[in-house]
Amino acid sequence: MKEIQIVAYKCRACGKVHYPFHDRCLGCKGRDFEEIKPQGCARLLTYTQIFNLPWGFDQRFLIIAIGEFENGVRAMGQLEADAIEGLQLGMALNASWEPVRTQFGERIFGLRFEPLP
Amino acid sequence: MRDVAIIGAGMIQFGRRDEDSLLDMLAWASLKALDDAGRGESGVDAVYVANMGSGMLQHQTGIASALVDRLSLLPAAADTVENGPASGASAIKNGLLAVASGYYDYVLVAGGEKMREVSGWRATDFVATLTHPVAEYPYGVTLPGMAGMFTRLYMEKYGVTREQLVQVAVKNQRMGALNPYAHVEMMITREGILDSPHAIVNNPPVADPLHLYDACPVSDGAAAVVLCSLELAQQARKIPVLIAGFGQATDTHTVQERDDPTDLKAVTIAAQQAFARSGLKPEDMDLAELHDAFTILEIAESEHVGFFPKGEGGKALMEGKTSLGGTIPINVSGGLKARGHPVGATGVAQVVELVWQLRHELPPERQVPGARNALAVNFGGFGNNVLAFVLRRVDQ
Repeated sequence: MKEIQIVAYKCRACGKVHYPFHDRCLGCKGRDFEEIKPQGCARLLTYTQIFNLPWGFDQRFLIIAIGEFENGVRAMGQLEADAIEGLQLGMALNASWEPVRTQFGERIFGLRFEPLP
Repeated sequence: MRDVAIIGAGMIQFGRRDEDSLLDMLAWASLKALDDAGRGESGVDAVYVANMGSGMLQHQTGIASALVDRLSLLPAAADTVENGPASGASAIKNGLLAVASGYYDYVLVAGGEKMREVSGWRATDFVATLTHPVAEYPYGVTLPGMAGMFTRLYMEKYGVTREQLVQVAVKNQRMGALNPYAHVEMMITREGILDSPHAIVNNPPVADPLHLYDACPVSDGAAAVVLCSLELAQQARKIPVLIAGFGQATDTHTVQERDDPTDLKAVTIAAQQAFARSGLKPEDMDLAELHDAFTILEIAESEHVGFFPKGEGGKALMEGKTSLGGTIPINVSGGLKARGHPVGATGVAQVVELVWQLRHELPPERQVPGARNALAVNFGGFGNNVLAFVLRRVDQ
């Protein structure tokens, strides 16, 4: 399995975790960050199933979710599930780094969530 | 700083306008506003044009320069203003500050967008470029998708129901059917989109828990206003409408980085600034145009601007408080939901509608009787750049 390529940024002054990158901390305006990786499982913060897909997707629907990892990193990703009926806010998700779309013939990798069995 | 008033307002019908170019629409709305201001034979000092996507959608840039040429307003200063779906209000803000500072006396602000020229998936992708290019866009999230995730959280936290969302759609399409400028002039019923066996066909999900009729249409259209100092406005032929207060605030680009993603902080701050600068309060407003690109936003914004406590907006809606005849009619124009949402035009169209309301020029079936004060909220991105105006009728 490919390593998750997300890099998050923890402010060395106040500890606030950022993803994506900011040049200054959203909390204290500090500029010194420790690079951290998402750790552990993610908790499902919210999700939606979208049917009107933008250019570049050739499928019937997508489930998009925001998850929060155990070290506080929050990130958006695609959620792999047959249907949304079994999803619950707060449920535990496994995360992996998978192709999420194809642009100009090139596969783009990104975060893929899956409900933990 | 000088007080600034609106002395002219014009608009063309929103909808699918295959035969009209973006410049056609901007020019026609501008001429209506100039004529309305009594400046159809003269000029303005500056022009601000709100547009989000002509470079992507029409392969044309420099829209403001093209418009002043088309309208023979040369040598007026001209700038194009892009702030996503809040471009219209941003352009008005630029005009407001330019006149208030004393640099210019007369300013034309026009907003326009031509979105139906491209396929639905291209238009969806165009609007989705507002999302974060690394942390959001690659996943295929769309603005309806952002709204769907927000709705799920808002329902969970505040108990907003499907019935309440449907009521926003029914109310606004009822008002849109009375508005000759609206894109969607079709009334709908709760039964047709919620209760009947056919509802799932009529109103399929687009971004769960949002359905088709929870979303505004993709539209072509344009609107324009003419601004000048209040002193000059007193000599104009129409009742001036004072821009009594203005506010603008931003929030994180990604929704996930907000401590509470249901908290539309930029809406709250922009509205508070506008109220503070006007010396008026939410309870002084006679009506409001809120940015209901999705039904949930009308409910959430009605709470965030201070009309109702958090969690009470849906209840107030169901009690008729936000309908024409209620305590604070919202989106009497039909809102984005029915008037349509040509993104660059919307913020200007909201103000045009309120100018007509505050001048008491609309037919009785959609005029708020005796309206004196009004609020407009134009919502950019997914709440990451929001503008608010408090407008006040100036009796002469």
